[in-house]
Order: sequence, then structure tokens, then C-alpha cells
Amino acid sequence: MITSGLIQALLWGVASGCIYILLATGLNIIFGVMKLVNFAHGQLLMIGAYIAFTVTTALGLNAYLAILVAMGAVALIGVGLERFTFRKVLGTDKLNEIFVSLGLIYVFENAAALLWGNTTRQISSPLQGLQLSIGQIAISYDRLSSILIVVVILVALFLLLKKTKIGLAMRATSQKISASMLMGVNTEKVYMYTFALGAALAGAAGALYGIIFNFNPTIGALPTIKAFAIIIIGGLGSIPGAVVGGLLYGIAENTAVYFLGGVWQDAIAFALLIIVLVIRPTGIFGEKGE
Amino acid sequence: MKKLFSDSFSSIKRTIITFSRSQKFSFVIAAMAIAAIVPLLVNNYTVNEVLTPMLIFAIYASSWNLLASSGQGSLGHAAFLGIGGFVSALIAIKTGVPPIIGLFLGSLLSAAVGFLVGLTCVRLKAWFLAMVTFGFSVIVVTIFSELDDFTGAVLGFPTPLIVDRGLPFYYLTFAIAAVSILTMYLVMKSKIGLAFKAIHQNEFEAKMVGINTAKYRLIAFVISTFFAGLAGGLYAQSIQYIQVSVFGAEYSFLPLMMCVIGGLGTIEGPIVGSAIIVAIDSYLPRIDPFLNGLLGQDGLIPLFPAVSNVGSPLRFLGLGLFLLVIVIFAPKGLTPLMKKAYHNLRRSLKEEKN
Repeated sequence: MITSGLIQALLWGVASGCIYILLATGLNIIFGVMKLVNFAHGQLLMIGAYIAFTVTTALGLNAYLAILVAMGAVALIGVGLERFTFRKVLGTDKLNEIFVSLGLIYVFENAAALLWGNTTRQISSPLQGLQLSIGQIAISYDRLSSILIVVVILVALFLLLKKTKIGLAMRATSQKISASMLMGVNTEKVYMYTFALGAALAGAAGALYGIIFNFNPTIGALPTIKAFAIIIIGGLGSIPGAVVGGLLYGIAENTAVYFLGGVWQDAIAFALLIIVLVIRPTGIFGEKGE
Repeated sequence: MKKLFSDSFSSIKRTIITFSRSQKFSFVIAAMAIAAIVPLLVNNYTVNEVLTPMLIFAIYASSWNLLASSGQGSLGHAAFLGIGGFVSALIAIKTGVPPIIGLFLGSLLSAAVGFLVGLTCVRLKAWFLAMVTFGFSVIVVTIFSELDDFTGAVLGFPTPLIVDRGLPFYYLTFAIAAVSILTMYLVMKSKIGLAFKAIHQNEFEAKMVGINTAKYRLIAFVISTFFAGLAGGLYAQSIQYIQVSVFGAEYSFLPLMMCVIGGLGTIEGPIVGSAIIVAIDSYLPRIDPFLNGLLGQDGLIPLFPAVSNVGSPLRFLGLGLFLLVIVIFAPKGLTPLMKKAYHNLRRSLKEEKN
């Protein structure tokens, strides 16, 4: 049945899109406030997955509580990254950010390979193996709950940005850094919190990724690229754009796999990305851009 | 366009005249003399596995450097390395032309593809450009693997050789590298290179003073991808075998590392960087057994019990940290530090004489 297969692909697309939304939102927040692009963001996702894996196996923690641990731990790593690497090159040549990201990719991937080995892992969740079937359509409870968790995280993020003082400071800094400095915003602190927030989102995405998919130290690169594709669809720096873009991308990817087979999956994603950029260099929903 | 060439021609003449009078000139001659003599003194293995790759990667890194000097940091240069390698070998095999002509046809095709990629990239900001070039390399690898019947990419095939491996191939590479790097040097010192620099520093302002930024960025792309393809053809010759792994991300990241470590935007930086990275790559694996004995699973201090071979991840971890340290603490790379050390040494020697 083509229709049921299509609906299945749609549902799966929404679920995997959710993980990429978290990643893209993190990248977007960091870019919006700091005008910085961290190409090693997918490696933070990978680290998050491993941290969640470690606390579930070593401490026997529930996989869904491990998401919180992964968020906290990756946020701390993010604080360190911002303080000791990105802050040093911020405001210099744009290429330096790419170089720093590349160094970080090497560091994270190989540190993870040393600490956890190269074998493929998966986080065992209490809902593992259970799935909801309606007719011919089947979706695992893990995927369904990951959709729910992403919605909760995004709502919390929205409240944080709109209702709290630090959220206000972040929004002010993203609009005009010099003016917010004059208004008494400690921008260095804002940068730190921003990067930690973006990293925490990557950590949560990592834990969810580890629950749904297998992972190893080198899985970080593709999610980064997909997050970029989402950002390009949704516009750099726009969070609602990332949500729409993420859903569109997840659905497009899964339907493409359904109709064309998995071999062309990544190439098609990139071809789409390049075509979009040729037609609109700032992304589909992007404003004039930076 | 005609004016552009006559302008660049006169500036090239000027560059050559000032260069031949400068102190650098004797330094370059000395370096070339060393590069010509050293292979005669070392064994065959060193020539094949260390010195020749150094020259090939010097071309490759310089081509990346030229593109970066116009502010465009490619993360997918391996696509052009691979196109150069595959096309030069395939042309020689399928049509029977001499491999040396295949080498140049491969580079020309790489430049033609570079022109098309450049067309899509000229309007993009640094991070989107990095992503598009990276994505392009993934697309190319998929196409080459899918067209396996024609390309033979997945299993690979031996490449037809221009000259024998060892000293003959070394000197051929040496000649090609010298001409290529000189060409890139002249481009970067000409008016075109000045435009690259202006675009790199501030594209908006470069536009304001009347530089056609799109045109110059495209020129950078074409020149850079031509030499990347040339390096790819030579690389396929040097390992005598070409396979789809040449498109891998690590081959895209290598020239970037070489440029950053040596010194971005300078002509000597990529050469120094490629010498350092190739030397690390060929000599450092020798301490792997020692590292395994010390830190590995059954080692003295089993720090990493999850890994059977700690050598390779430790080396790449070190390389990543090294890159970070360079970018943060010595953003101009190692060559300025080496120059400084050289001058200090000379000064102290002079003082000792007095």
C-alpha cells in the first residue's frame, strides 16, 4: 500500500526531524546571539549520546532521565568550549571559526573513540521494542515519546527566551551587541549562557538519537549537515524557521528514502541544499541575512 | 578581461624583478637545491612514501590556500582531488592517450567542475560555502560509486604510470610542483591576488571600491580547483592505485590543516604545513606499538580499556589539539615563528663573532 507506506514515512520523518530541530535550534541560537557557526555541533550530539549511554548502563538510570544528565554535561562542555576556544577567535577572521570547529571535531571524535571504543552502541530505553500499530502503520513508542520530549523542550526554550531576564539579555544581544552593552548587559556572560544552551540542546538531541538509532564516535558529521540543511530552509537565526525546516526536512528525507532507496539519501539532501542556496543564498524563509 | 591580463602581466613582471633582488630569492634557491639533492641521499622508501607525497600535498595545500586567500574556505576540496585522480587515470585507460596528457586533461576537467561549483558559491557567506563544498564532495562520491561500471571507483584500479616510481617520479613531481606553486605565487602577488585579499578582509567594502567580487571569487575557484585536480592526478600516480576513498572528508580537511599549521595566506605556509603533516603521518605511527604497550588494553597503564589500538585515535586527538593551539595562539601559523627563530639564531651568531 503506497498510502500507508507514505504515512509511515511521514511519521518517521517527523520523529527524526524532531532530533534535527533540536540541533538546528541550538546552532541558530548560538548564531543569532554570537554570530558564530559551530561546525562541531554534531559532535556535541555524539558526546551527549555517549554520556546518556554511560549513565544508563553504569548507573542504571532510566534512559529518559538520562536526557537531563546529557543536557547538563554537554552544557558544561559547551561552557568550556566557548571560554577556551571560540571566545579567542570571535571577531577575528571568519575562517578561524571553521578551523576551530575542525580541530574540535578531531578532538571529540577521537576522545570518544578512546573512551568508549569504536563499537556501535544503542541506549536501551524502558519502551524498547514496543510499538504502536494502527493497521499497516507502525511506529515505536520511543519515536513517539521523542516527539513529545522535543515539544516540551521547545516550549521550555520559548519560555526561557521570552519570560526570563537572561532570555531578554540574549534577545537584546542578538539584536545589537553595543546597545545591549550600554544597557548594562554583561555580554560575555550572555555568550556563555547562549553557548551552554545551544550545547544542552545538542546533548538532548544526542540522548534521543541514542535511544532511536545506533551510534558510534563518527556519527556527528551527518547530523551537523542535516541541521545546516534545516537552517538553510528555515533561515539562519530563526527558531520558528528551524522548527518548520526540521519537520519539512525529516519528512522529505524519509519519503525520499521510501521512494528512491537509501543510497542516494545524503546526496539528494545535499543536492536540494545546493539548489536552494543557488536560488536564494539566504535560505527559503531567511531575511536579508547577515 | 584583456585589461585584467595586461595589468596582471605587468604586475607579474614587477613581482619577478623585485623578487629576484630580495633576500627571499636566495632562500628559495637554497630550498629548491635541498629538495633536489635530498632524495639522492635517502633510501627509496623515503622518496616514495615521504618526499613525493610532501610535494604533491604542497600543491594541493597551496591550491586550497589560494582559494582561502579570497576568503572562501572549502571543506570539500577532496572532490577535486578525486576528480583529478580518477579522470586522469580513466582518460589514459579508456582512450589510450599518454598518462601525462591525461593528467592535464583531468586537471582541466576538475577546473571546469570547479567553475560550476564556484558559480553556485560566489554569492554565499563563509559558513554556507563550507557546507556547500562539503555537500558537493558527498554528491561526487555518490555519483562515482553509483556509476561503478564505468568508473570502477568502489574497488579501485591501478593507474597507468607516467614514469617509474622512485627518483624519476620524484623529479617529475618536483618540476610540476615548482611550476604550479610559482604560478600560484604570481597570481597571489598580481592584481588578482590583491582583489582576493580585499574580498577576504571585507567583501562589502571590496564591492564598494569597484571590485567585481563574484568574478574574482570565481577566478579563485577555477585556479584552485585546477591545481587540486593536478595534485589528485599526481597522487593517483604516486600510490599507483585510485579508489573512492580519495573523496573522503579527511582528504578535504588535510589541506586546511596544512595551511593553518604552516601559515594561511602565505606562499611558504602550505609547503611547510604539508611537510610537517606528511612527516607526522609517515613517522608517528611507528610509536603505536609503544603506545599500545603503555596505554592499551593489556598495557602497563590500561587507561583506555575499550580500544584495541590506541595509537591512531591518540594521534588524531593530538592533531586536533595542535590545530586548536595554532589557531588560538599562533593564528599566522608556524612559519613566522620559524622565521623569528632563524633571525634570532643569526643575530646571536653574529654577536658571538663580534
